Amino acid sequence: MENSIETIWKEGFLKNDALVAPRLNDLYNQKSKHIVDKFKRKYKINLIAIIVFSFIVVPISFISKMPYLGILMFILFNGVVIVNRKFRKQLKKIDKGLNSYQYISSFDMWVKELISVNTKMSRYLYPYIFLSMIIGFWFGSFGGNIPGEEFVDKLIIDYPNTYLVFDLPLFGILGVILVTSLLAFFGGRIGKWDLNLVYGGILKKLEVLLADMEELRS
Amino acid sequence: MSSDFYTSSILPFAAIIIKICRAYTNTQEDFEDYYQEVCLQIWRSKDNFREQSEWATWIYRLSLNVCLTLLKKKKNNYQHFASDYLPTETTEDNRAFADEAINQLYDAIRQLSEIDRGVILLYLEEKSYQEIADIIGTNPNNIGVRIKRIKERLKKILNGKEN
Repeated sequence: MENSIETIWKEGFLKNDALVAPRLNDLYNQKSKHIVDKFKRKYKINLIAIIVFSFIVVPISFISKMPYLGILMFILFNGVVIVNRKFRKQLKKIDKGLNSYQYISSFDMWVKELISVNTKMSRYLYPYIFLSMIIGFWFGSFGGNIPGEEFVDKLIIDYPNTYLVFDLPLFGILGVILVTSLLAFFGGRIGKWDLNLVYGGILKKLEVLLADMEELRS
Repeated sequence: MSSDFYTSSILPFAAIIIKICRAYTNTQEDFEDYYQEVCLQIWRSKDNFREQSEWATWIYRLSLNVCLTLLKKKKNNYQHFASDYLPTETTEDNRAFADEAINQLYDAIRQLSEIDRGVILLYLEEKSYQEIADIIGTNPNNIGVRIKRIKERLKKILNGKEN
């Protein structure tokens, strides 16, 4: 080494112009775009994953002799994707030409609307999944014996005192009603938790960035 | 943070912040994040500044604290969400300065421990042992020995005798 580290340090900073400070507004612009782009990427990947899964679940359900479950899940997942595709179109409409605060505020409003709609959907989504599983099991394959009826027949033989309502065991009906009600009640919270699991990190950064930008404007 | 405060109280000392942030980051994106966070922290903590030390010394201390905190956070996040962060070795962006010797020196500094990076930066900025000890929060008697050891290690790294 020819020069001492002290000389490298002194001479290096004397003759270069790399110590020009980044402009604060530029930093915020870049950070805004970075957060929104990251969210867009994750959102797109998530929707593609749901579509792929909806197509995978159908043959699996046929193989495991629960085709109704597969069909109902296919309808559900694609319904979720259709709703969220509308959101994607709205997201594309957010004008990148706006200043960074307006851009990130518009994006924040869009995210809040997205969370609100998906939370509302979750109240129906989880009970729907549960009922699909029950229906899938109960009716089994197309044609042939109905597994649900076979189950009731066996139950009556083993427990002849079982109380039936419309040929269905009362405790079963009550159980399904209870679980469905619980899922409807907690569905919103489960949905929020699910969204947080996927997008939590980005949403936290968005919150901090918005707070910083509001401070900067004040 | 008002633009006035940034222009009058931070911008004249931006070189300090840049030099420190560069020693704790490997990419331009990380550097800008750290720089921004330091500026925000200076603004948020400005009322805590007691004129017992110079404003520049206070900025050194605050910049180092912020960088060390962010680095710690990043390490924790990396452990929890490995997909969100790439290891520093794979994201090197070590051509931040026009001067090649400075870039090499920074590459070497980044191989030091977090505290040693702070110590050598302050030494190169010609801070006294007492000031370095105050900023780092250590005993001034050990600073001289520590700097000697760090310089020897840097020389080895720069001469290619150590990776």
